[in-house]
Amino acid sequence: MSEFLLEILTEELPASHVRAGLEQLKATLSVELSAAGLSEGQDIRVMGTCRRLIVLAEIVPRQRDRREKVIGPPKAAAYKPDGTPTPAGLGFAKSRGIDISQVEVYATERGEYIGFTKSAPGKPAEEILPEILVRVISGLSFPKMMRWAENPFRFSRPIRNLLGLVDGRPLDFEVAGLRSSNFTFGHKIFHADCKIQPRSFEDYRSSLGEGLVVIEPNARREMIQAETQKLLEPLGAQLHPEPELLEKLTYDVEHPHAFLGSFHPDFLSLPLEVLSTALREGQHLFSVVKAGRQQPLFVGVADAPDDAKGLIRQGNERVLKARLKDADFFWQQDLKVPLAERAEGLERVVFQERLGSYEEKAQRLKKLAVYLCDKLDASNLKKEAILAAELCKADLLTDMVREFSSLQGRMGGLLAREQGLAAAAGRAIYEHYQPAGLEDASPASTLGAILSLADKIDSIVGALGLGIQATGSSDPFGLRRNAHGVCKVILDKKIDFSLGRFLDKALEAYGPKLERPAAEVKAATLEFFAGRLRYIFEKGGFRYDLVSAALGPGLDNIHHFSLRLNALNGLRSSPQFEPFILMAKRVNNILRDQPAGRVNHALLAEKEEQELWSVFGIVKENATPMMAKGDYSQAQKMVFRLQPALNTFFDKVLVMAEEKRIRQNRLALLQAISRLLSRIADYSQVVVEGEKAQ
Amino acid sequence: MTLQVLIMRLQKFWAEQGCYLAQPYDLEVGAGTMTPDTFFRVLDRRPWRVAYVQPSRRPADGRYGDNPHRVQKHYQYQVILKPSPDDTQQMYIRSLTSLGIRLEDHDLRFDEDNWESPTIGSWGVGWQVMLDGLEITQFTYFQQAGGIDLVSVPVEITYGLERLEMFLEEKGDIYDLRWSDEVSYRDLRLREEKEFSAYNFEQAGVKGLQQMFNLYEREAAALIKKGLLLPAYDLCLKCSHVFNLLDSRGAISVTERVKIISEIRALVVEVARKYAAEGASS
Repeated sequence: MSEFLLEILTEELPASHVRAGLEQLKATLSVELSAAGLSEGQDIRVMGTCRRLIVLAEIVPRQRDRREKVIGPPKAAAYKPDGTPTPAGLGFAKSRGIDISQVEVYATERGEYIGFTKSAPGKPAEEILPEILVRVISGLSFPKMMRWAENPFRFSRPIRNLLGLVDGRPLDFEVAGLRSSNFTFGHKIFHADCKIQPRSFEDYRSSLGEGLVVIEPNARREMIQAETQKLLEPLGAQLHPEPELLEKLTYDVEHPHAFLGSFHPDFLSLPLEVLSTALREGQHLFSVVKAGRQQPLFVGVADAPDDAKGLIRQGNERVLKARLKDADFFWQQDLKVPLAERAEGLERVVFQERLGSYEEKAQRLKKLAVYLCDKLDASNLKKEAILAAELCKADLLTDMVREFSSLQGRMGGLLAREQGLAAAAGRAIYEHYQPAGLEDASPASTLGAILSLADKIDSIVGALGLGIQATGSSDPFGLRRNAHGVCKVILDKKIDFSLGRFLDKALEAYGPKLERPAAEVKAATLEFFAGRLRYIFEKGGFRYDLVSAALGPGLDNIHHFSLRLNALNGLRSSPQFEPFILMAKRVNNILRDQPAGRVNHALLAEKEEQELWSVFGIVKENATPMMAKGDYSQAQKMVFRLQPALNTFFDKVLVMAEEKRIRQNRLALLQAISRLLSRIADYSQVVVEGEKAQ
Repeated sequence: MTLQVLIMRLQKFWAEQGCYLAQPYDLEVGAGTMTPDTFFRVLDRRPWRVAYVQPSRRPADGRYGDNPHRVQKHYQYQVILKPSPDDTQQMYIRSLTSLGIRLEDHDLRFDEDNWESPTIGSWGVGWQVMLDGLEITQFTYFQQAGGIDLVSVPVEITYGLERLEMFLEEKGDIYDLRWSDEVSYRDLRLREEKEFSAYNFEQAGVKGLQQMFNLYEREAAALIKKGLLLPAYDLCLKCSHVFNLLDSRGAISVTERVKIISEIRALVVEVARKYAAEGASS
């Protein structure tokens, strides 16, 4: 085997671009290498920093010899009826440098053709790789792309060097007007002029290590964590957890160095949320806590071997001081104005151009929050709900949120607490933007969940009501994020309510503002949610067909949808499952295109149909309260009990009886069963093994 | 090192890189990008290298001289290199070492920050450059200017002179900076910041400004028709500054903001389109 090494050296890539680039390199190269016969399924390793995308792969040094068919003219044109070759046949053979006697006849889809089998000797990897690399590197795509110099080529950031080696021998290729080389460079400040000519990956890795570049992201993350621990352990303190910041810093540096700095303890009068945001968003610094309390300290990560003279720390402290002064000024100013007074300004803040101001939104949120209080057994919270809905957007007018928009909601909650508002309302305001995505936590308080649902549903209905959609990578109104938030809150809190009726309420609150008819918007919203639920659960590892089946009874109650899906998923490997699915499908097939009817007990002539009817009665009576309670597993197991009676029924009774009345009655019996089943799942969506084989 | 020595060193460094040293443009602009030496010169494919100091006015950033960082007028050092050279980044790093900064003792970072100016229909991809946590430069590869896709991509390097000087003097307050050995930033600028903050936030006459805006806008449109593109562009800049003043007076609603920005952009894009068309036919 041979060792293949690729390094794309660039100007600083954003962390998310490094990850996107590496993922694509791994995926496309593994396809290309095996298609070219250069890989036999060996693992491809990718790694990188903000300045390099690196690939390491084991490859076959030379392709296997290949045999390929060369097809010529149709047999009918190549030979006369008597079997002697025509000029066309002879011409083909001559043009390919073979004798006509070597020509064979191949049956193709279009008929019989003449041709021959050519054996092509495998080429060495070094000959094939350049073409592949040009294609793969040019095909990389990033969330935002750019051009540089006079080059039409587009990439995330300018490419400055290309290194490609097979067993230490340089490959020759050209991308973006740049010719590949057999060297690279170390850290841009500390080892910029030092050319590294690696002979192998190990050599590459260790030379770059000496050049102050740690190429593996995991190694850099561990360095940051270990150094941080060394700084904080003696103090008995920890980092305030900021996983996204840690991830960004891991990629933003080639050689991490963690350093500890401090700020004046006076700034500790600022809330932890404000301090940590000012540290993180302004300067990418971590906050430090001890026993849950913020310390006047921070941890920064520099792209340097050390901070021997302490200049990096001092510089950061100086800048931080000015930032915290700003934040403190904002906090003091913002505290002076009561939230209620602040909220008066909301009529001048546009929520969406055609949907009006945040003041109007607050009015709608009041109605929706009150409705939810009633539905969710929280009527005692109505007063606080109204207050929270009125004030939850007021912090958009604070200087703090203007400076740090990520504090929206939390800032309002903090001000509410400082200004002595009802605790439940303050908490709800604090939490109402949560969850910001599927990974984020749902609001902890009931009222927080209520306000979060109201806010998100109002935004979704408003956008869809104007025909604003999420398409491909573009989602200007955050529709997907909001819908994920709604689903997550409902699922986390097991909220048992009708989404449809809540949508009616939201549509009613908008009144004539929406440009599309209410029924259309409602249908579009439900369809949108079906898509999002599908995404969420398939990402969570549920089978596609089971998700479809559980969506069958509808998604009016999202909590119940999840219970149905979990029940199906839990029972999918039970012995009753597959035969039952096949039976349910059989029932559905018979009923296709049949008019609905009612069962007339007196017409149930045969013993087997009477038996089925009676078992059905018992099953239905037992299953119905189970479904109402959301216990779909028990309900499903109860419904399994129909199986023997159904089997006997199909064995012994002719459904399509001659006599119309009897026939219709038997169909009506099956319809009644089908209706019961359809409340648990649309079984016709489930794919079972037996079917796949057919 | 004083601010004026900092400026002189940058002038020397960039002159040596083949830049023509322009003088500041004599109109109020929000950024050096908006002056003709950048705006018009990036539109075509002819090579162009220029460097200059440009005062930048941002009325809403005024803090009455009370804030150690924010001011309604600051000074930028603007560099344009077209087409962007392959060693742009090293060149920039050398410019910092030419100021006597020992980068081995510091943390220099290029932090993703894509620049956009909707008013002049321009955007680019790049970074804010952070030195020990302090933003000292905006570094941008222009992709579009005046609504035109740039075939020859310029790189723009915009140093915040006060920021850089705060780093060099290790000061936390802008007013403590020394412009020369004799004159401090406070001496030169504090009164200006106080009075202009009062003007920008309290005293600027809204009605008069609105009239001015309309007048400049009409004049710009008329001049475009006559093919007098440079004066037309000046009037667009005036519109832009008047708009910023109205904004800091709180006289512009969010919906109006969108509308006005798109009006100014329409004029600027028209100027750019005609300018580029002339270049193509000559």
